[in-house]
Amino acid sequence: MTDNHPVTRRAVLGTLGALGVAAAGGGFVAGAPGKAHAQALGQNESVQDAMKRLFGDKPIKDGAAIIKLDLPLIAENGAVVPISVSVDSPMTATSYVKHIYVVADKNRIPIVTRVTLAPEAGRAFMGANIRLGETGDVRAIVEQSDGTLLQVKREVKVTVGGCGG
Amino acid sequence: MSDIGKVRLRIPSSIRPGDVVQVRSLVIHPMERIERDAQGKIVQKNYNYINKVIVTYLGKTVATFDTTQSVAENPFFSFTFKATDPGQLKVQFLDTTGGRYEGTVEIKFS
Repeated sequence: MTDNHPVTRRAVLGTLGALGVAAAGGGFVAGAPGKAHAQALGQNESVQDAMKRLFGDKPIKDGAAIIKLDLPLIAENGAVVPISVSVDSPMTATSYVKHIYVVADKNRIPIVTRVTLAPEAGRAFMGANIRLGETGDVRAIVEQSDGTLLQVKREVKVTVGGCGG
Repeated sequence: MSDIGKVRLRIPSSIRPGDVVQVRSLVIHPMERIERDAQGKIVQKNYNYINKVIVTYLGKTVATFDTTQSVAENPFFSFTFKATDPGQLKVQFLDTTGGRYEGTVEIKFS
């Protein structure tokens, strides 16, 4: 027992040190791309420009068969509008939903969020509270792992806009 | 405002192995909107809003949200993950001023 003791302590200290270094490094790496993405994603632009920037000229098919977009018909307060998107799609390592985009056509910053999913998510689902500036279409665009783009959109009537400025 | 960065996570009360579990997360954050001056021009400054949400389960990233200012104040996000083993689920929120807020919850089977 006494022989084992110092070895154990050394092992423990070594592991702790390695963890500390990993945590510090991880923080730096995770922080940097966060900023870069925000600049690329959230811009003051028209929805046509935003769609072109994100998807180029790739065709976007109608996804009404598999995408379920859950939104209120009338949003009394545009500052908080609950939205959820679920996609009826397998989530396996070979075929899964890679991204879910939420785009609000009339917002000054049309791209609301881009969700990146891993097959471990089990189900292609996302929910969030978003802002809507005025009455207009809200679209959910799904990108599958093979690059197929599917879209559904619905109009939401907004009584009081929530984007300010 | 001292509440900025408070994270709340909600999971179902009973989880069985293999379940696809829906988690709801909320963070207290102002999510500053674009401001305009008297001439209607956009004020250029570094707006403080959350631009990334990272969900990890057992050390693996399950979902990432890249968000913009079109997301509501005190943002709420929900997502799912497949509960395979007991362990830690962590949600990290990163904002444009370098703020980093995180919430963790232990996934246990009952």
